[in-house]
Amino acid sequence: MHFRFVPLLLAVLLASAGCRDAKVTSYRVPKEKPDPLPPILTGDAPMSGAGGADMASTAVPTASGNDLTWDAPATWKAQPLSAMRKGSFTVTGSDGAAADLSITAFPGDVGGLLANVNRWRGQVQLPPIGDSELATATTQLESRGLTFVVVDVANSPSPKTDRILGAIVPFEGATWFFKLKGPDALVEQQKSAFMTFLQTVKPAAPERATR
Amino acid sequence: MNQTLRHLRDFLVSLKLTVVLLALSLVLIFAATLDQVNLGVWAVQAKYFRSLFVFWRAGSVMIPVFPGGYLIGGLLFFNLIAAHVYRFKFSWRKSGIWLTHAGLILLLAGEFFSGLLQQEYQMGLSPGETKNYAESYRKNELAIIDTTDPKFDDVVAIPEPRLEHKNEIQNPKLPFRVVPRLYYPNAVLSLRSGAPSDLPQLATKGVGPQLVVTPVAVTYKQDERNWPAAFVELIGPDGSLGTWLVSAQLAASQTFECAGHSFRLGLRWTRAYEPFSLTLLKVQHDVYPGTDIPKNFSSRVRIGTPDHRGDREVLIYMNNPLRYSGLTFYQYQMNSENDTSVLQVVHNPSWLLPYISCALIVLGLLIQFGIHLTGFARKRRAAVPVVVVKP
Repeated sequence: MHFRFVPLLLAVLLASAGCRDAKVTSYRVPKEKPDPLPPILTGDAPMSGAGGADMASTAVPTASGNDLTWDAPATWKAQPLSAMRKGSFTVTGSDGAAADLSITAFPGDVGGLLANVNRWRGQVQLPPIGDSELATATTQLESRGLTFVVVDVANSPSPKTDRILGAIVPFEGATWFFKLKGPDALVEQQKSAFMTFLQTVKPAAPERATR
Repeated sequence: MNQTLRHLRDFLVSLKLTVVLLALSLVLIFAATLDQVNLGVWAVQAKYFRSLFVFWRAGSVMIPVFPGGYLIGGLLFFNLIAAHVYRFKFSWRKSGIWLTHAGLILLLAGEFFSGLLQQEYQMGLSPGETKNYAESYRKNELAIIDTTDPKFDDVVAIPEPRLEHKNEIQNPKLPFRVVPRLYYPNAVLSLRSGAPSDLPQLATKGVGPQLVVTPVAVTYKQDERNWPAAFVELIGPDGSLGTWLVSAQLAASQTFECAGHSFRLGLRWTRAYEPFSLTLLKVQHDVYPGTDIPKNFSSRVRIGTPDHRGDREVLIYMNNPLRYSGLTFYQYQMNSENDTSVLQVVHNPSWLLPYISCALIVLGLLIQFGIHLTGFARKRRAAVPVVVVKP
């Protein structure tokens, strides 16, 4: 068999393999309405996620499947819900300090666990961690068929420093975020209440029992 | 014949080459199927099948490790043709084999042309909305739009790979140079006030200074898409105009002035403009009674042409696409909550080739088996005497 042409053929093809380059184009179209600024500039939600029905939309897609429900402690004051929040509470300490508890849900894995842990770490001025450190930086909580990844991050031990105690739980193709953010001392004080609260989280009863 | 040409001919007509190529294609398909778990169907197609070589990344160097689909398929294509021209002689008894192989050659050519020419886009429409463009759902472009003219927008579209490779762009329609400084294939945006970060934040103009960009892992899942972001500096004749953060999530929403012209810029899904428009008139979302299981999606659209001569209404529903102006519009997605309809728009000039090639292969096999069957039956009739046993 005459394979002496193979090296020559491969060299030519290899050289041509890298030749495809995307071209800059210019064209004229009838006047279009400018794209609006997205809600990120007024909200605090992460913006990664699966494409929704309208792929061109710049709106943040929120999870629209079945919901989770929970029983919050009576001392947590419920706040009005926004487009981003599935649940919202203000947690007030004995000294008047306040922390914000937000519950949000987005389709897909929202960039993955590591990216979201790093996002929260960034919010308290901590450097990002790598995959190998993820296991030691988080704890897992199993409750009612859900697996929560619990993240507790604070930058320094100062009582007034912001601290985030959060939990990330995948549920039916979406990712739910439970985030308590406030002064270190208050979050510490509310930690056991938060962990008990997580154990009340469960899938909402389906609207129709049978199909 | 020249010695070299003879060797080339012997190489191309070799049946051993056919066997080697078929074996290589088996390995390629097996490896690609396994890698689909990691990369998803689109990336696997691009990496393994629509490429001359399969590359492995070693640091920043790409090393070719295996022949890709185009190389194997291309060689098989020439091997089949060369073998037929050189080795096989036409006879009616072999007409079925000829037809089958012609179908196979056409199938290979069809896939090659589909890979080169096929383009897939989406068109998302709300009721009453009119669009004259479709958008890619995998590719992005940096659009710099001169909005000075009250009737028209002049668009310069820079493909995402140019940002990725940090190619400086100078276009005669722009009074400045575009210099990509940093590019993330997938990134999350957060408000700077809520998410201070150590990551480089280069933006000095537009909404960028209010935002923090955090790169996240690239997704290959079919139902998710990446949200690329980049920092681009615009440099005019008198120096830098500033650095903008552009992101697919911000679209083309940021504006600025330069040399007496007004501009908008942003990263958006790559657009393909058409010389006609579609207006969504009505969407229908039928479910099986008593369930949420979809039964049928349909979109009634009006085609609008510049001279209004070709205007007409069309109903697009599942398995009943609209074929118009070389494009095929399939009913793709439907959001019953806000009545939006998403049409998949496919441009594939070679869409008929697989059908023709399959028909040729079937016809060839029928003829070949038919010839053999009649020959066998004739031989059997001649060999076995008919014995009639009387009771």
